[in-house]
Amino acid sequence: MKTLVILYLKDLLRNKMLGLMVLLIPIIFYPLIYWGINQFLMVKAGFSDSRELTLLYTIENDEFLQLEDSLISVKNLILERSDNAAGGKDRMKLIVSKTDGLPFYSVILDSSNSNHKEFYARIENKLIGFYETKKKELVESKGFEPEYFDVFQIETRNSEGEHEIIRKMLSLLIPLLSVISIISAAAAASVEITSGQSEDRTAETSLTLPLKRESIIISKLLTVNIYALLAGTVNFVFLVVFIITIFSSLITGVSEDMTGFSWSEIFSLKIIMIALVSLLLTSFFVSVIFITASGFASKRKEGGVMISPFTAFLTYLPLVLVIPAIDPNIFIAATPVLNISFSLKLLIENNTDWIFMTETAFFSIIWLVIIYKLFFPFLIEEEVLLGYSGSSLTKKIKTKWSRWKKRLP
Amino acid sequence: MEETITIKELNKEFYDPQRGTVKAVNNISFSAFKGEVFGLLGPNGAGKTTTLRMMATLMQPDSGYISIAGFSTSEKPEDVRRSIGYMSSNTALYPRLSPREIIRYFAELNDYPESEITLRVEQLISYFGIGEYADTYSEKLSTGMKQITSIARTIVHDPAVLILDEPSSGLDVIVSQKIHNYIKDLRDQGKTIIFSSHNMGEVEKICDRIGIINNGKLLAAGTIENLREQTGEYYMENIFIKVVNEFEKKIVQ
Repeated sequence: MKTLVILYLKDLLRNKMLGLMVLLIPIIFYPLIYWGINQFLMVKAGFSDSRELTLLYTIENDEFLQLEDSLISVKNLILERSDNAAGGKDRMKLIVSKTDGLPFYSVILDSSNSNHKEFYARIENKLIGFYETKKKELVESKGFEPEYFDVFQIETRNSEGEHEIIRKMLSLLIPLLSVISIISAAAAASVEITSGQSEDRTAETSLTLPLKRESIIISKLLTVNIYALLAGTVNFVFLVVFIITIFSSLITGVSEDMTGFSWSEIFSLKIIMIALVSLLLTSFFVSVIFITASGFASKRKEGGVMISPFTAFLTYLPLVLVIPAIDPNIFIAATPVLNISFSLKLLIENNTDWIFMTETAFFSIIWLVIIYKLFFPFLIEEEVLLGYSGSSLTKKIKTKWSRWKKRLP
Repeated sequence: MEETITIKELNKEFYDPQRGTVKAVNNISFSAFKGEVFGLLGPNGAGKTTTLRMMATLMQPDSGYISIAGFSTSEKPEDVRRSIGYMSSNTALYPRLSPREIIRYFAELNDYPESEITLRVEQLISYFGIGEYADTYSEKLSTGMKQITSIARTIVHDPAVLILDEPSSGLDVIVSQKIHNYIKDLRDQGKTIIFSSHNMGEVEKICDRIGIINNGKLLAAGTIENLREQTGEYYMENIFIKVVNEFEKKIVQ
C-alpha cells in the first residue's frame, strides 16, 4: 500500500496544472474572507435588537447619580450598580468620576463584541447628553466661557486586553482558511485520483494488483489526504501572509493599537498543533466526501461537476453562515467539517465548550460509522472504481444509484 | 498440456436505464493451456473486454467459474492477480511517471523480490528497447512507446498468464509487428496468453487457438485449421462472417 500511495502521490505532485489550480482557487475566496469579517461584525449587530446587556456602573460622586435616570431609558440595558465587579463577555463596565467639576467616563468593553459596540453607541448619546447638561449648569453657576468645556472625551478600554480583537478575528480566520485551503486541494486531488484514473484507465491496472480493493481505496484516501495537507499548508501560509499584510489595516482600524502586537500571541505551538489536527480531520472528511462524489464520474470534467455542489456547500457554509454569526449548537456539532472548524475557533478563543466538543466527537464517530457502513461498500463497487456504464452523466448516476439502493437496508 | 485457464458457463449482465438488462457475457466456456496464445475475436461490444475483465478479477461474474493458474477468481482473487499480467485496451500508464518508474513500481506492487527489481527493470528496458525514453514522462510518449511500456509493466513480475485486451489497437504496422513478436516470444517462454482483438489478420497470425465471440456468446473455438474445416472457408474474415451468420440463422429458426 505504501508503494501505491507513493506512486499516486508522485503522479499528483507532478501535475503542474493541478498544482496551479490548487494554489489559485483559494485566491477567489480572498474577497469573501474580507466580506466574512464584516459579516462577523454586522450580522451579530443584527441580533442586538433582541439582545440584552448588563451594564455594571460605579458613580464615584453622588452629584452624578442622575445619570442612572438617563441610562435606564436605553432599551434592553440592565443596570446594576457595583463598585467592584469587572466587565466581561456579557457585561460592560462604566466608571463615572469627577474631573474639573464635570463627569469623566471610563468604559470597559469587549471591542470585538458587536453587542457591546451597539450598546456602547446608545449609551454614548446618553453620556454626552448628561455631560452637556452638567457643563451648562457649571458654566451658568461659575460664569465660565462655554468654549473652555468643548473638549469631551470618553476613555474606553478592552475588557480582555488590547489585542483581544486581533485574537478574535484570527480565531475566525484560521478555521476558515484551513477549510478553504484543504477543500480546494482535496477536491482537485479527488477528481484526479478517481475520475481521472477512470478516464486514463489506470484504475484498472491498480485493480489487477495483488491487493484488496479496500487497500486501494485507503491508498487513494491517504494520497488525497497527504496532497491536501501539503497543498493546504502552502495555501495557508500564503493566506496568513495575506492577512498580515492586507488585514492589518482593517484590524488596526477596529482595535486600539496594532503596535506591540506579536504574531506569536496567535501562532503559538498549541494553536499550530490544534490547527494541524483540525486540518488532518478536515482533509479526511472532505476526501471521503469528494472521492465518493467523483466516483460517480468516469471523466475529469464530470468529476468536477459532481463535486462542485459539495465544494460550494462545505466552503460557503462555514464562511458565510455559521462561523461568523452563530454560537456553538448541536446542529453545527452534527455537521462534518464545519464542526471541526468551529471547535478550532473555540479553542483559539480559549473558550473550551466541552459540551460542544463532546457533541462534535460523538457526531464525528457517527459519521465515520456511516461512511464505513454505507459509503465504503459503495466505493469498492466495480462500477465506481472503474467508471463503467452508460454514456451520459445522468445515466451513470441513475445506474450507480440503482446499484447503491440495492445495498441499502 | 497443462491447463492454466478454465472458464465454465460464465455470465455477466449489465443494467442500462434505457435498454434494461443487457447480457454482456452469455454462458461462455473455454480453456487455455501453458505456452498457448488464445485469441478472442469479435466486433466491438461483443463481450471480449468484459470476459477479460472478469478473468482479471476486475469484475465479478453473475454466475460461472473461472480458474487461473489453479486459483478460483471468486475464492482467491489476490492469488489470481499475482499470477496474471493484465493490459487493458488503453495503455493505462500514469501520465507523469516515466517508463522506468512505472515498471519499477509495478514490480514492487506485485511483490517481486526486492533485491532483483533493479536487474529485472533494466532487463525489460533493454529487451523492449525502451532505454531511449525510459526517463521521459509517459504523457510525452507516442502511442507505440506507451503500448510497449505497458507490455513491460504487464510482465514485470513474470506472471504465468497474460491477459491482453487489444494490445495493438490503433498502432502502426511497425509497432504492431514488434508487439506480435514480443507476444510470440512470451508464448515460447511458456506463458499462457489470452489475447482479444477485432483484427482478423492479427488473430490469424499470432493465435494458436481462436474463440469467435459475438453478442456475449462464444460461437466457435479451435485452431485456425479446425475453424476452416468447420466452416469450409479459408480466410479468417469469411470464417467469422459464416460463424456469426449461422448463429443468427439458428436464432431465427
